[in-house]
Amino acid sequence: MSTTNNKIISFINRIEDGLLVLILTSMIFLAIYQIISRNFFSEGLVWIDPLLRTLVLWVGLSGAVVATRSDKHIRIDVFTKYLPGKILPYVQRTVYLFALLICLLIGWHAARFVYSEYEYATVAFAGVPAWVTALIIPVSFTLIAFRYALLLISPEIKKPHMDVKS
Amino acid sequence: MASAIVLILLVILGAPLFTIIATSALIGFYNEGIDLSVIAIEIFRIVDTPILLAIPLFTFAGYVLGESNASQRLVRMTNALLGWMPGGLAIVSLIACAFFTALTGASGATIIALGAILYPAMKQAGYAERFNLGLITSSGSLGLLFPPSIALILYGVIAQQMELEQSVTIDDLFLAGLLPGTLMLVLLVAWSMYRSVGEKIPTTTFDAKELVSAFRESIWEIPLPILLIGGIYSGYFAVSEAAAVAVFYVLVVDVLILREVTLKQLPTIMRDSMVLVGGVLIILGVSLASTNYLIDTEVPSRLFDFIREHIDSKLTFLILLNIFLLILGMMLDVFSALVIIVPLTLPIAVGYGIHPIHFGIIFLANMQIGYFTPPVGMNLFIASYRFNKPITELYHATIPFMLILFVAVLIITYWPALTMSLVELRH
Repeated sequence: MSTTNNKIISFINRIEDGLLVLILTSMIFLAIYQIISRNFFSEGLVWIDPLLRTLVLWVGLSGAVVATRSDKHIRIDVFTKYLPGKILPYVQRTVYLFALLICLLIGWHAARFVYSEYEYATVAFAGVPAWVTALIIPVSFTLIAFRYALLLISPEIKKPHMDVKS
Repeated sequence: MASAIVLILLVILGAPLFTIIATSALIGFYNEGIDLSVIAIEIFRIVDTPILLAIPLFTFAGYVLGESNASQRLVRMTNALLGWMPGGLAIVSLIACAFFTALTGASGATIIALGAILYPAMKQAGYAERFNLGLITSSGSLGLLFPPSIALILYGVIAQQMELEQSVTIDDLFLAGLLPGTLMLVLLVAWSMYRSVGEKIPTTTFDAKELVSAFRESIWEIPLPILLIGGIYSGYFAVSEAAAVAVFYVLVVDVLILREVTLKQLPTIMRDSMVLVGGVLIILGVSLASTNYLIDTEVPSRLFDFIREHIDSKLTFLILLNIFLLILGMMLDVFSALVIIVPLTLPIAVGYGIHPIHFGIIFLANMQIGYFTPPVGMNLFIASYRFNKPITELYHATIPFMLILFVAVLIITYWPALTMSLVELRH
C-alpha cells in the first residue's frame, strides 16, 4: 500500500483512539461527579445518568471498531489453529469478506433507523435528539466494515493467535 | 437449514462471533417479514441498561491495577500472612490468583501477570514442576465467582432481559458467588497442603515483622475491596457507582500517590481495556436482537417441551447441563458463552425449578473449569505460551486440579443452599 494511504490510515487510527480515550475519560468524570453530588449535595444532575448510559454504547462500539483493527474480535479459534498454513489466508479472506458484508448490511439498516428517529424527532434526554445518540451504530458498523476491507486486502497473517485480551 | 450449516461452517473457520449472531438474527427477522432496521433498535437497547456502566469502569480499573505493582504486593502480603502453613506458597498462589482474576476479569491476564512471579517462586521452594504448572494454569480462572467479576455482571444483565418471575440483581449474584467460590478455593488449598506435606516441602516460620512491613506496603490496596463490598452491601452505592469509585480510587493511588502508572500510559491502558469491552458489548448488542427473536418465536419454550419429553427428573437435567457446559467452556470464552447460551438454557432451567441465581453460579463454575480442560481450554494455550512448555505437559499437569474443581461443581450444582443461603439471608 502506498505511503499516502498509510498516512490516512494512521490518521484514522489516531482519531479512533482519541475518541475512545475522550469518551472513557468523560464517563469517569461524569460518574464520579454524579456520586459526589448525590451524596454530598443530595441531588445529582438529571441528564448525567442517561448521558452515561449513552456513552456506554459509544465506548463499547468504538472499542469494537478499534478491536477490528488488529482482528481481535471474539471467535472460536480451536479449529483454525490446526489449519495448514497454505489454506489459512484463503479461509481468513472468506471470513473477512463475510464480516465485511454483514457489517455493511447492519450499518445500512442502522442508518435507516437513525433517519426514522430524525424524522419522528424523538428526544433522548435533556433536549438531545435520539438520532444523535444512535448515530454511533451506523458509523461504527461502517468503520468496522472498512477495517475488514483493509484486512481483506492485506490480511494480518497471524500465528495461532494467543487470543488475549491482555 | 442450509443457512444454519453455512453459519456453523463460518464459526468453525473463525468468523467473529458477533457477525454470526447478527446474521442469524437478521435471517430470523427476514423470514418473519420484520424490517431489518430492528437490529439497530435492539443494539440501541444497550442504552436502557444502567448496570452496563459497571463493565467498562471495572475493566479499566482492573487494567490499571494490572499495570501497577499491585500483583507483587498482593503476593507478598498473602505470603506474610499464610506462607508459614504447609503448602504455604501454593495457598498464596491460589488466593492471590483468585483476587486478581476477580478484579481483572478472567481473560488470561492472571496467568501472564501473576505466573511471572509465582512460577519461579514455587519452583525455588521445591514444588514439583507439574504441580506448579497445574496450579497456576487452573488458578487463572479462579476468581470468576467473586465480586466484582465482570462475568457475573454480564450474567445478571442477560437474565434481566429474560423477563423471569424471580428477580436477578447484581448484588444478589455477588453474594451468591461467595460461598461456591470459597468452596473451590478451600478444596484446592486442601489438595495443595496434602501434596506439599507428601513432598516434604520445607515450611517457613511466621514472621511478624515481615507481615507488618508487607501490610504497610499494601496499605493503599487493602481498603479497596472493603470499600467496594462494604459500599455495595450497606446500600451506600449501587454496583455501577462502586465501579466508578474503584476507578477513582485506583487512579488516585496508582497514578498520583504511588506513581507506578504514569499519566502517559493511561491512554494506552484505556484503549486496551476498551478493546476488550468493545468485543464483549458488540456481542451483547447483536445478541439482544437474536434473543428477542428467540423469545418471540418461543424457541426456549419449545426446546423445553422437547427436553421435557425425554428427561423428566431435575437431576438428570442437571447432569446433562454440567456435561454440556463443560464442553462449551472448552470452546467458547465465558463472555460469548453467557450471551449465546444463557438465553436458550435459562428458561429451560427455570422450567425445571432451578433458581436463576443458582443457574448463573452453576454456569460460571462450569465455564471456569472449561478454561483449562484439555484439549482446547484457552488457559492451557496461554500457559503453554507463557511458560514455554508443550501443551501435552499442561494436559497432565492440570488433570488433578480439574478433578477437584469438578467435585466442587457437583457440590455447587446439587446443593442449591450453598449458593442461595446468603441471598436468602439478605432478604
